[in-house]
Amino acid sequence: MQSYAAKLFDLIDLKAENIAAQWAADVMKHARTPSYGSLPKETVIELGIKFYRLFRQMSLSDVPYEAAKSFSWKYAEECYRKKIPLQEAFYALILMRRNLWLYADFQGTFVTVLEQYQAVESLNWTILMFDYVSYQLTEKYHELIKIDVDKQIGSIKTLIKDSTFGDQGHAYKTAIMIILLLGACILTYYHHSELATGTIFTHLFYIPIILSSLWWGKKGIFVAIFLGVLILVSHALFLKGTPFTDDIVRAVMFVVIGGVVSWLMGGVKKLEDLYLTLKG
Amino acid sequence: MLSSLKLLDLMANSAESIARQWAKDVGRNPKTPYYHTIDQDDIIPQAVEFYQKLSRVYTDKDPFTAIQRFMGKFAEERFQEGVPLHQALYAIVLMRRHIWLYAEFQAIFITIVEQQQAMDSLTRTILMFDYIAYALTEKYEALLKCNYKNNKRG
Repeated sequence: MQSYAAKLFDLIDLKAENIAAQWAADVMKHARTPSYGSLPKETVIELGIKFYRLFRQMSLSDVPYEAAKSFSWKYAEECYRKKIPLQEAFYALILMRRNLWLYADFQGTFVTVLEQYQAVESLNWTILMFDYVSYQLTEKYHELIKIDVDKQIGSIKTLIKDSTFGDQGHAYKTAIMIILLLGACILTYYHHSELATGTIFTHLFYIPIILSSLWWGKKGIFVAIFLGVLILVSHALFLKGTPFTDDIVRAVMFVVIGGVVSWLMGGVKKLEDLYLTLKG
Repeated sequence: MLSSLKLLDLMANSAESIARQWAKDVGRNPKTPYYHTIDQDDIIPQAVEFYQKLSRVYTDKDPFTAIQRFMGKFAEERFQEGVPLHQALYAIVLMRRHIWLYAEFQAIFITIVEQQQAMDSLTRTILMFDYIAYALTEKYEALLKCNYKNNKRG
């Protein structure tokens, strides 16, 4: 097939700049590729030249599919970096192929019956190449989206995933929480009954409150409620005569903070679901 | 465009046979691993429907709107099934190839005039599949965005 398509390859090699310029003019004003309109013309032409040069590389390669990657991956990365939507990047490829044929047609490359036969073979070759490039483009695009999402929710994912603690993640989390709550009970008892003060020790309670909301979402709010009830009961038992106001505010803040964090985690979990959808 | 009618007839009348061959191919093609574990009989109807709908819009003067409509539904179904876009796209590429493989096997383009018809049909088919692939990609991206926005709101 490659020998028949040689005429087309010669034309492309020789006139890559011209075809790319023609394509750039087309893609920059096409209704289905509006993002290209705002790019510098030289950048767009450069993209086109890279695509047209790929033909020769692919025709010389033993594995054309692998050769196509040298263009399609870079093209995908460049378009993604420029925030061009995938369907536009895809349609720009379609226009690249069409402009190639328009140019060949305009130059009267395939006139005789034999040349018409060559045209069919060249068309088949072009389509095959286009099939490869479009497949690699969409695959790469989604890979790039995944990497981006991974980066954005990566650190939070580490916190919420059971795998952070190995296979027995849930058991470890429960054990850590029990220790923290026991610590909170001891601290409350010590400060209220021994020191008779309700000073800043309650700030430490935000550690189990936030962790429980991160790990268990809405269910984690029970830890905040438990700690709120703990300081109120302890106050009633050991700090008789001292106004309740401060501890009531503290208890309410525990529940509010626990609620806000678990609400935020709901959003993060949904983002994670989306990430899994992308992963396929 | 009229010379494409031969291929159109073939597509409408032999949709099931072409779909059956496509299902076999897509079920073992390395670029479409999603389909490897699915029963062939389950995916044949979607290809039959695709070929039948395509044959209906094949001779339209402006097929893009009709294609956008039927591909919207097709894309939504594939998205819900969890087919990655590049694999859904390649499955479409295989659908196109199987129309031609079937046409070649049935030897519908033999004489010189028929060869000319083949060239016209090829050009028309490519145009149709350009629209189809674009509509599929556009819808998939819209669904992804919609999903993302819903997740953010929820």
